[in-house]
Parts: sequence; C-alpha cells; structure tokens
Amino acid sequence: MLCDKCGQNEATVKFVQIENNKKTELHLCRDCAQGYPSFTPGFDLQQLLSSLFQSAFLGQKSAPSVAAKRCPTCGRSIADIQKTGRLGCGSCYQVFQEELNPVLRRLHGSGNHTGKVPARAFPKVHAARQIEELRRRLEECVRLEKYEEAAKYRDELRLLEKQLAGGEAQ
Amino acid sequence: MRELASWMRERGPQGDIVLGTRCRLARNLQDIPFPEAASREQLREVLSKAAGVTPHLSEMGPFAFREMATMDALEREILVEEHLISPSHMQNPAHKAVILNAERNISIMVNEEDHFRIQVLKPGLQLEQAWQRANSIDDLLEEHLDFAFDLQAGYLTSCPTNVGTALRASVMLHLPALRRVQKVQEVLGAVAKFGLTVRGLYGEGSDAWGNVYQLSNQITLGQSEDETLEHLARFTAQILHSERQAREYLLEKERRLTTEDWLYRSYGILQNARIIASQEAMELLSDLKLGIDLGVIPHGDPELLKQLMVQIRAAHLQSLMGQPLPAQERDRLRASLIRDTLQKQMGKTQGE
Repeated sequence: MLCDKCGQNEATVKFVQIENNKKTELHLCRDCAQGYPSFTPGFDLQQLLSSLFQSAFLGQKSAPSVAAKRCPTCGRSIADIQKTGRLGCGSCYQVFQEELNPVLRRLHGSGNHTGKVPARAFPKVHAARQIEELRRRLEECVRLEKYEEAAKYRDELRLLEKQLAGGEAQ
Repeated sequence: MRELASWMRERGPQGDIVLGTRCRLARNLQDIPFPEAASREQLREVLSKAAGVTPHLSEMGPFAFREMATMDALEREILVEEHLISPSHMQNPAHKAVILNAERNISIMVNEEDHFRIQVLKPGLQLEQAWQRANSIDDLLEEHLDFAFDLQAGYLTSCPTNVGTALRASVMLHLPALRRVQKVQEVLGAVAKFGLTVRGLYGEGSDAWGNVYQLSNQITLGQSEDETLEHLARFTAQILHSERQAREYLLEKERRLTTEDWLYRSYGILQNARIIASQEAMELLSDLKLGIDLGVIPHGDPELLKQLMVQIRAAHLQSLMGQPLPAQERDRLRASLIRDTLQKQMGKTQGE
C-alpha cells in the first residue's frame, strides 16, 4: 500500500486517530510519519531541453532556409531537434552550429571544448592540449608551493615539448 | 550466492561516507547516426564494431561482449542493480549490448543513448583513479574506432548536455546524519548553483533510499576533465565535512542516548523482522551502517550496507532462489537473508 500523504513510498506506519468517537486511519511511509518529506529531486530532462531549444531558436531570425535545412547524414531538421531535445548524429553539430551555439552556452556556460582530444585523429592538437594541461598543473603546484610535484610536471612538460618539436622537424 | 562486484565488497578511501565513485564517458562513431536516429542496419554495424574491438581491451584484463537480447530478463535486471547498465538499457534490449570485465567494475554499454558509454566503478572516493581507467579504455577504443569529435564542441553526443568531455563523474554518498538533522536539502540544494547535480541511488528520477545520494557534474563543455574532477572533489570534501559535523552533533552528550536508541532499534528490527520491503530495509541498513561507522554498534562490517543494498533487490533475490517470486515472498526472503547475513557477519567479528 502506498503512503496516504505523499502517495509515493510504501506505507509502513499506521496512524489511528480517534476524535469525537470517530476513528480515522492513515497509512504513512516512514518519511511522512516522521515529518521528513522524502528528498526527491529529478525533473523532466527532455521537456527542459526541448524548451531550451525552442527559446534559443526563437530568438533568431528563423529564415525559411533554416526551417528547411536538414542534416545530410541523419536527415534531422531543427523542428526534430526541438521536439526531442536530442541531436541525430555528429554532423548535426556542424550543420546546426549557429542554432546550437546559444543552447550550448546556456547549458554549459561555454561553447568551447577544452578537454581531451583523440590522440590518433588529432595527434598535434592532442599533444598541445596535454602541454596546456601540464602547464596548468605546474602553475597550480607552484601556487600551492608543492615544489616536488611541480618538478615532476616540469620534467614531463619538457619531454613532451621536445617530442612535439622533434615530430614537427621530421 | 552470486559473487558481488569487487567495488561493492571493498572499502575505499572515505568509505564511512563515500560508498563508491563512477566515471562515465560517452563516445559515438563518426558518420553513423546516434542510436535514437539510427536504422536497424546501422545499429547492427555498431554492434559488430563493438564486438570486434573487445579483444583489444585485453591489456586491461579479460572483457566479454554480450548482446542484451541474448540475456534473460533476470540477468539484465541484475546488471541494473549492480549499476553496470542503466534501466533504459535493460528495458529495450534489441540491438543493444554490454562489454563487461571479469571483475564487474568496468562496463561499456553499446547503443544506449550514445554508441558507447564507458563506465568505471571504484569503491570509496577515487575520482582520479576511476577517470584514469576510463581514459585508458577510451584510448584503447580510439586506436581502432573513429569517434565523432569536433575541435570546438569536443566529443559529440546525442544529448547536448553531455557534449564536450562527455564525462559524467559521480560519487555515491551516504548522508544519514545530515538527513537526520534535516539538513540534506540545504547542503545538497547548494550544489546546483555550482554546476553539479544530485540524484537518488539508481540515477535520474530515483529516490534517495537508504540516504544514498549521487553527486555528479553537470557541465561538460568549457572545462577539462581534470577541472571537472577537481570541482567535484572540492564539493564532495565540503559535503563530507558537513556530514561529519552532523555525526559529531548526534553524538554530543545530550543527544547520544537518543542516537544510540534510534540506531539500536533499527539494528533490532533488522535482526528480528520476518518480512521487510526493500525501502524499509534500505532505511534500516543505512541506520546500521551509521551505527557501525560511529562506533555505536561495535564489531560490525561497515560495508554491509553496500553489499546488502544490492543483494536485497528483487532480481538478486530471485536469482538466489532461481525462480521468479511474488512480492510477498520476496519480502520474507529479504528479511531472512538480512537476518542470516547479520548473524554471520556481526557474529564472526564479535567472536574474533
């Protein structure tokens, strides 16, 4: 039986109240019986995304050419993406880049990737990002006066820079 | 009984509060639509590439590729209960697969929301270690697969909330004292302002049964993986501090007896109940873990909650009995499993 109060959890406690010779029974879950309504976060992600897309897209001059635009790989249109809140494939990100950027900025506060880069597909960028990350760690260690760790990062950095320079020379 | 995954048996760093750490990376193949938009043939193509790449993971231990459709419903549900696949991966098994390692702490879901979802689980607070393993798996996969990647947008994903690093790092937190003093919402409510999110034990939309909460990063674009992990670690440390304060508060002289009474009553119910539903069991096991971690209840194994919280779930109970069970029978079996386990575990350490 579900709790009479929240209607969500299994009722484990029975409250019997007798008032003016009238008996009322309440079946409650532990949380409601103790007066702690259970902490239930969670929301409809799809709806939220779709409304985010809608408001971002509405802000733009939606020329008929945009509405008619379809991704050549998966065939999705802006209307499809708006409805589901999902993109159809990797190419969608390029095809709808202009429309998508405000959404990404709202979701993440940024539109630019600064993390990992696939090593085989983008070897040079991969190495450059690794160097960037090592520099950041090195500075952080120096700031926190962790000199031993900083020296380790400095050596790694030198090695990587040397490798990169060597690769370019070839 | 089934052997539990190592991360559920072992105690990790900060194990009194942090039950486990998870890092998940989403990856998609170039030129094939994301699963939701892909045709059956395209989904099969992803499956065959996934099967083909599995042997290349062997330097990280043995891995097995399994199509979801070849498993029975119970087997799939067990994987959900062990956090190895998502509920949605179980519900619609057609053209989906999972690549699992023998230790059952690394899983790769194939054709879930994205083509690949690499997941690494670790006991306790081990963000850096979990990320390093997920990162290595990703490197091995990338040697053989062309991933959808864009220098500006990063790793491309079906949902724009994952694009960029496509990294979701989570810590599973046990916060019984904060809940007891009614401060959970206050403490966890603040995290949303900092690009983090809180969910219940089994992910999106699930309840925080047994005072177990999952804290994870929300932002994946504009931060490097290391920054994301550092940010999450900083907040986790803050929450650990609040929970420890609440625990000390509950043990202060004027409240100690009330606290002990509460925890021992829960222990008593677990030792004696003849029927018990999963939610009540989770709540009481949470109390028991707190009692053991506080030293109020001596001689107990503090990892009991982690083990039992999975073993008392419906699919694990049914697998134990080797047959489907009606809810009432499950409640009886659950109570008896808990009683036996407590007698064995608590008695064993007591006798030593």
